[in-house]
Amino acid sequence: MAYAPKVQPFRSRVLADGFVLATSQSGDHAFFAPGEFDQFRQSPQLLSLRRQAELRARFLLGDSHPSIGVRRLIASRIAAKRDTVSAGPSLHILIPTLQCAHSCRYCQVSRSLHDQGHTLSLADIDAACDTIFESPSPTLTVEFQGGDPLLRFDLIERAILRIKARNVAESRRIRFVVASTLHQLDAPMCAFFKAHGVHLSTSIDGPRELHNRNRPIPGRDSYERTVAGIALARERMGHDSVAALMTTTKASLDHADAIVDEYVRLGFREIFLRPLSSYGFAKRNQALLGYSVEEFFAFYRRGLERVLHWSRQGVDIREVYTSILLNKMLSTFDAGYVDLQSPTGAGSSVLVYNYDGHVYPSDEARMLAETGDTSLRMGRIGTPLQSLLASPVRSVLIDASDVQKEPHCQACPYSLFCAPNPVDAQAQFGTPCVAAHDTEHCQRHMGMFDALFTKLRTADDDMQDLLHKWAQPVAAEQT
Amino acid sequence: MHRVVSYANVAAEWFPELRLLVLARSADERAAIEDLQSAGLPNVRWVESSVLQDGDIVVPRSVKDEAVVLLRESDTHHALFMTNRCNSYCLMCSQPPTPADDSWLVDEAVDAIRHLRSPPLLLGLTGGEPLLLGVGLRRVLDAVSKYLPGTQVEILTNGRLFSDWRVAAQILTGLSTPVRWLVPLYGHADFVHDFVVQAPGAFDETLAGLMALQAQRQQIQLRIVLIEPVLQVLPELASFIGRNLPFVREVALMGCEPIGFALANRELCEVDLAQWSDTLELAARQLRRHDIPHLLMNAPLCSLPKALWPIAQRSISDWKNVYAAECEACCVKADCSGLFAWHERGWKPAPLRTIESAEAIA
Repeated sequence: MAYAPKVQPFRSRVLADGFVLATSQSGDHAFFAPGEFDQFRQSPQLLSLRRQAELRARFLLGDSHPSIGVRRLIASRIAAKRDTVSAGPSLHILIPTLQCAHSCRYCQVSRSLHDQGHTLSLADIDAACDTIFESPSPTLTVEFQGGDPLLRFDLIERAILRIKARNVAESRRIRFVVASTLHQLDAPMCAFFKAHGVHLSTSIDGPRELHNRNRPIPGRDSYERTVAGIALARERMGHDSVAALMTTTKASLDHADAIVDEYVRLGFREIFLRPLSSYGFAKRNQALLGYSVEEFFAFYRRGLERVLHWSRQGVDIREVYTSILLNKMLSTFDAGYVDLQSPTGAGSSVLVYNYDGHVYPSDEARMLAETGDTSLRMGRIGTPLQSLLASPVRSVLIDASDVQKEPHCQACPYSLFCAPNPVDAQAQFGTPCVAAHDTEHCQRHMGMFDALFTKLRTADDDMQDLLHKWAQPVAAEQT
Repeated sequence: MHRVVSYANVAAEWFPELRLLVLARSADERAAIEDLQSAGLPNVRWVESSVLQDGDIVVPRSVKDEAVVLLRESDTHHALFMTNRCNSYCLMCSQPPTPADDSWLVDEAVDAIRHLRSPPLLLGLTGGEPLLLGVGLRRVLDAVSKYLPGTQVEILTNGRLFSDWRVAAQILTGLSTPVRWLVPLYGHADFVHDFVVQAPGAFDETLAGLMALQAQRQQIQLRIVLIEPVLQVLPELASFIGRNLPFVREVALMGCEPIGFALANRELCEVDLAQWSDTLELAARQLRRHDIPHLLMNAPLCSLPKALWPIAQRSISDWKNVYAAECEACCVKADCSGLFAWHERGWKPAPLRTIESAEAIA
């Protein structure tokens, strides 16, 4: 029979509700009730023709010898899932200073205002700006982090002006982002940022009490001053000139609704329910700040439901972590989230130029250096990009994040959407080469993919519309 | 092949490589053209006609004292018929194929293109299956590029032969003519599509053809004719397109033309679109989810749920477009596709209704 169905290569997993999720080589998925799954594997020809057609359309069923059209289609689907790393480093993070007025308990890096030693030298700033242009990428994002970089606005200004001047001849599309508490933001800074199309990214951990508890400063008014900074930025630079990130601490876990509501109240279009790794801060604070993956799931699910609640009311807001995962699950256009790329984007699409004069593969990697582990240094600032990319650190990271080389990933239905995170592994175990399923990175993402696939399976048409909308990559100017 | 010209324009439009058919209105004008012929201009003839128009491209039939008008400047839809041969036998084909060798049509098309006085905005190439012409199709496209700069070409093709890289290279490599390829897709799985086009293996070849077109960054419009076996799977098909063919420019959902094979396969092709509103809305929703632009063609507004009116086009070529008695008092007639002229002998896409102004505004 010409159209006899043959089961094609697939990976599957039983979800909590008993349904089986299967994904095919193309990244398409289907759900099976348990009995149907056995029939699919053993005698797919007994499935209804309608069901056979659905499974063929997802490349879970096919012919014994798939012909050229289907083969080409699947190859292009796989390539589209993995092509975001190849264009050369596009995200360049500069750490002008570690100085910060805050003394957040979960922060590993920041130093007090009186500390003069943790600041990037002028020569290193200039060299970093020049290295950025060695990347062939036509679009570049230059992000300033800290510490609080606005404490050294002079260094930001120097870097942006140098890059702008160079770009007259280079004509790259460059986006600037400054991550800051905004406490030091003033009108002249806004004018400069507006003139140069700079976006601001700040931190709001939730309502006043929670935020001020997470982010202590001598005046105990971190929240008030950040909100004032947001208002000033919006007034001078436009509503969408500033975005916010939150960090989930142990104190956040019981307040998912209030945190989401705070973002809605402040008029943000995005909220990122960002977990803190259990090893992501000084060991002495583990008991005080740490929480389990399960505790984070409960918080995340609650927060996500709250965001969906507001979306259904017509509020324009999305949860970024969910968007990133839905993009992997549903969209053919990959948004290129660094931590889930295979090979990893760390050190390939991202480079961090640290105040200490060294280049690191990611923000987490330079934080690791503050705890004494400098093994992920790629080279000194000023080293030609080619040499940085040829560094042993990078090849270790690429190797350790290749899903093809990781047996556990090979069997995982999420392997086209996800990848090991070797920088995380280094932080958790002191080596990038570990069995993926032992890492918190894997446990967290398995759980989140499970939850989102279940959400997708049970979604009505309006919810499907919303989840697909979130799956579309956000235009660069909004992120 | 001749270009019809008014007497006054003969001098301005004469070129040695063109043939002109001059609209002569008087004995003097006829005599003047005959003088030109005897003076050694073989490519000028006169004609007396009240139906031919200045600028028409015509093929005179010498035996019958008549001429076939291939192209007319004042028409909004210009099309050249490329072949009546085809490698598919679609259930609802409006132009049933014949096997006879008609490769002379290529020369006729190139000749017609050469004789056009000014480039039309849009030129359709239809069949049959134009890819069967191979390099002949490329000759036609190169003629458009040479003689009709600025003209956008639309080619209706099943794309199957592009699965052969030789054909793809022959027709697409270095192609400078702007072409939009109109490619039908009738299923999300091989056995569904292959049944509709009555050709085993067609689904796979069309997919490969679409990939070949995409590799050359060609513009693609997918076409889906709304007959019963297709409506049965339409939302799934829309989702398949969103996941696998997101590079297409748009998807056209088209009412079936009640003519040709559609009449013979009436039990599969005659549908009451109004009964399929939910299916159409769900399919449109699937396409929206994947950001695929889409439109409805050949479907009168009264056959569609109101939510889909904004994407319904006035799509039926002027020469075969009619309206029914119900349409006369209808307040959305001006925005409506109307009907195919031959719906009387076939069927209507749905029971027609006169839309009152209250409904249109609501």
